[in-house]
Amino acid sequence: MKFIGIVGTNARKSYNRQLLTYMQTHFQDQAEIEILELTDVPMFNESQDQTDSPVIQNFIQKITAADGVIVATPEHNHSLPSALKSLLEWLSFKAHPLDGKPVMIVGASYSVQGSSRVQLHLRQVLDAPGVGANVMPGSEFLLGRAHTAFDEQGNLKSSGTVDFLTSCFKKFMKFTKVVEAMNVPDEINYQPGTYDVTATGHNGELPMQVTLSKDRIENIQIDASTETEGIADVAFERIPKQIVDGQTLDVDAVSGASITSHGVIDGVAEAVKQAGADPDILKKRPKQTAAAKPAIKDLDTDVVVVGAGGAGLTAAAKILQSGKRVLVLEKFPAVGGNTVRAGGPMNAADPDWQRQFDAILGEKHTLKEITEIDEATIDPEYRPDFRALKDQINDYLQENTDQRGYLFDSKLLHRIQTYLGGKRRDLQGHKIYGQYDLVKELTDHALESVQWLEKIGVEFDKTQVTMPVGAIWRRGHKPMGDLGFAYIKTLKQYVTSHGGTIMTETDVTQLTTENGRVVGVQAQGVDHQELAVHAQAVILASGGFAANTKMLKQYNTYWTNIDDDIKTTNSPAMTGDGIRLATAVGADLVGMGFSQMMPVSDPDTGELFSGLQVPPQNYVMINQQGKRFVNEYGSRDQLTQAAIDNGSLFYLLADDEIKKTAYNTTQAKIDQQVEAGTLFRADTLEDLARQIKVDPDTLVKTVHDYNSYVDAGDDPEFHKNAFDLKVKVAPFYATPRKPATHHTMGGLKIDTGAHVLTAGGTAIDGLYAAGEVAGGIHAGNRLGGNSLADIFTFGRIAATSALADELAVTD
Amino acid sequence: MKLVGIVGTNAVKSTNRQLLQYMQRHFASTAELEICEIADLPAFNEPEQRDAPAAVQQLADQIEHADGVIFATPEYDHSIPAVLKSAIEWLSYTTRPLINKPVMVVGASYGSLGTSRAQAHLRQILEAPELKALVMPNVEYMLGHSLQAFDEQGDLVDQAKAQELDKDFQAFTEFVTLMQKITPQNKFFEETRQFSWSQLTAGKE
Repeated sequence: MKFIGIVGTNARKSYNRQLLTYMQTHFQDQAEIEILELTDVPMFNESQDQTDSPVIQNFIQKITAADGVIVATPEHNHSLPSALKSLLEWLSFKAHPLDGKPVMIVGASYSVQGSSRVQLHLRQVLDAPGVGANVMPGSEFLLGRAHTAFDEQGNLKSSGTVDFLTSCFKKFMKFTKVVEAMNVPDEINYQPGTYDVTATGHNGELPMQVTLSKDRIENIQIDASTETEGIADVAFERIPKQIVDGQTLDVDAVSGASITSHGVIDGVAEAVKQAGADPDILKKRPKQTAAAKPAIKDLDTDVVVVGAGGAGLTAAAKILQSGKRVLVLEKFPAVGGNTVRAGGPMNAADPDWQRQFDAILGEKHTLKEITEIDEATIDPEYRPDFRALKDQINDYLQENTDQRGYLFDSKLLHRIQTYLGGKRRDLQGHKIYGQYDLVKELTDHALESVQWLEKIGVEFDKTQVTMPVGAIWRRGHKPMGDLGFAYIKTLKQYVTSHGGTIMTETDVTQLTTENGRVVGVQAQGVDHQELAVHAQAVILASGGFAANTKMLKQYNTYWTNIDDDIKTTNSPAMTGDGIRLATAVGADLVGMGFSQMMPVSDPDTGELFSGLQVPPQNYVMINQQGKRFVNEYGSRDQLTQAAIDNGSLFYLLADDEIKKTAYNTTQAKIDQQVEAGTLFRADTLEDLARQIKVDPDTLVKTVHDYNSYVDAGDDPEFHKNAFDLKVKVAPFYATPRKPATHHTMGGLKIDTGAHVLTAGGTAIDGLYAAGEVAGGIHAGNRLGGNSLADIFTFGRIAATSALADELAVTD
Repeated sequence: MKLVGIVGTNAVKSTNRQLLQYMQRHFASTAELEICEIADLPAFNEPEQRDAPAAVQQLADQIEHADGVIFATPEYDHSIPAVLKSAIEWLSYTTRPLINKPVMVVGASYGSLGTSRAQAHLRQILEAPELKALVMPNVEYMLGHSLQAFDEQGDLVDQAKAQELDKDFQAFTEFVTLMQKITPQNKFFEETRQFSWSQLTAGKE
């Protein structure tokens, strides 16, 4: 028999350690006792999971393999030492190795009491549902006045004590056998058939069909039409496969889709229950474990791309177009990064196309305001462009003095708006604005990116020109189909069908260098497989760090405060990996203190897609008093600051006509959210007011005033720049919103060729960066719709440079 | 009246923290409640030197200068979290500021039981000779289903639970005042502020 003995303290001197050591020697003919120490166990923290750390894994593996566990505990303040409690908390959090395990408690203490009270506490703790140990009843071994109990050889002096310990240990061996018999897995019998159940997904209920034969789960079908495409797909494929393959419900959730994963597992459990069987039996069946793997796997390619979002897949496609090999490494199970979460439209000035559309109210005013900016406030490198733009605008305004006119745009307007939008001061008064050469590169080539994407196979809806939130101008090219996923679907298809390789769940741990050149990466793949990738160039396209609150707070110089529990609109993968990798090889950083909040995020999830998201000219924002509080056409910063000043939570108001302009939803989703209480709907404004707990009269007055401003084309209260629909047709809607972290403007310092630069301004050979991992373009604030323009433009540029510099390929 | 409220967890999101924040606001006219976090305290490891690390000393000073202490504890595995136990071990092992200090125990949990077992353990712990806190008898404030318990403003949704807390807090302030009258004459005299488990028997053999 094999037991694990746990020393219940991290103190250097411990009589409990001595007691276990004595038992180890004294009972060596009957059982093997391996002693484990608590010394290196970190303090338990549910917000920083360390279940996978070597020290916790060591406990998990050894306890799992052992027949039983002996805990030797001192008594501190009538209870368990915190160090022992911390270990037990780790062992009842994500992994449960003590579940069903026979446990014996012994304790030594200085006092006569001999740990009597801690033993009772420890029993209760071990009996808690998360721990689930089988603690041997009775036979309490209490060693009082432990400092006098051992002789110099470490043996117990009193023969009576030895006899009692021996009888307790014998009983524990017997108890272990009894528990073992109890733990034999139960047989399972299903009433065969197909069961209709529902699983709770991220966006509500998912219908599922589970087919069971007499003794097997045969098939799991899920109707996932209401889930966000791209993110949860992997969960729908992998979880059912693992359940069916292993005939077990002990399946790990897919990272990034844990709600959906657990939804599927719970759905199957429900079907099992309906079929007259006990799902707990399936939950206790062993996990499917992977086969043994080689130590390090070597891979060879031309270019490695880190991150399979929009920037990474664009770079990969561009490499493949030149006939070179590419390997894309993605740490998450699904491709798409943040791009799948994007609202859809990308900015690119295309005046010939935009002039087909009529100007809308307020746009001329916006242009006029630009011409009225004092040139002295424009930074010198932008002045020539600013003057040229003023001429363009004046010509346009003159041409359309007496008519509504068409929608104006130009590369210069896009450039100057990007510059003006990014100009900010931080809390210390430092000024920042977009680096001219990078902004010029972006605005000069954004339209080419649209055209390049069209060639790859992305279809754009040319019948409408849209303006994403915070975009300032209508120059959004909207792809057909599903928002950001439309780009990813097409790019992924292009990359895989043209010989590119995408490895998911592969986390790059460091860049490999040789004489100052980057020549590949080291990575950890599925099941902790170590990879060494050798390549001519590495393109970092790993995104920003909006999902890394600690890092945000560390660098932040812009917001007065960032809450510890702030939500993010981003994929949880956005933890600043590329910044960490590149700074380790000498890369410089720029503009790290600036981050952007998305004012219109779901208060519970940080998501953008819930509720009704409509064009800003149709936004009506009301605070918790039912009053408007901001110019809804304002920049994201203005909206965020106004929201924070109004207690963060606010509502987007809509009527039935405004609802029809929502670009993010369907009637089925709307109904589902109303049902779930995350979106409010009422036939009268008064009723809506009551639902969102604001004064009905106030809300009615707010809407009345707003409608009169739409009629007048002028908002004397908040000076909203553009209007479209009034709020008048029932039913009325209110979507609750709160600011969430959205974009990190700072990042790796790059040049116009996407080369990663050192603090000395020289390029690091073989290293390129594109997208949110790089900084310098958006500076203090990024215009809505510019991130997509950025990733597709600099993704192509990074690939072009890598091809030219390292592989002697030029266009 | 000056009180210290100890958040019994290191979790980023905690309804016990929320509960203390609510109490801080709601009872502002009666008492000044200072909220203390324990997340950044080092883990207790029974060092040879019995000097309090700076963060522990700071917490000890805050307790020392307060008229009473409120512990808000979650329940992990039928007991208090290790991180709270560690904080208490430091206090009991170094400066012992809880001696004769009036204490109220509250707790919030996601489930329905509202930390009943953790509170019982905490009482036993605080009454250990190394600590000798004066835990208020008779009052147990347990907030079950705590994720649903607060509204957007951080106020308690359930009026009955809010009233119960009003009453319990009132009782605690009276308890603090009463104890202040008794303790100067009290015979709990400590020869030394320092303590270790090995000393426990040293004088009594």
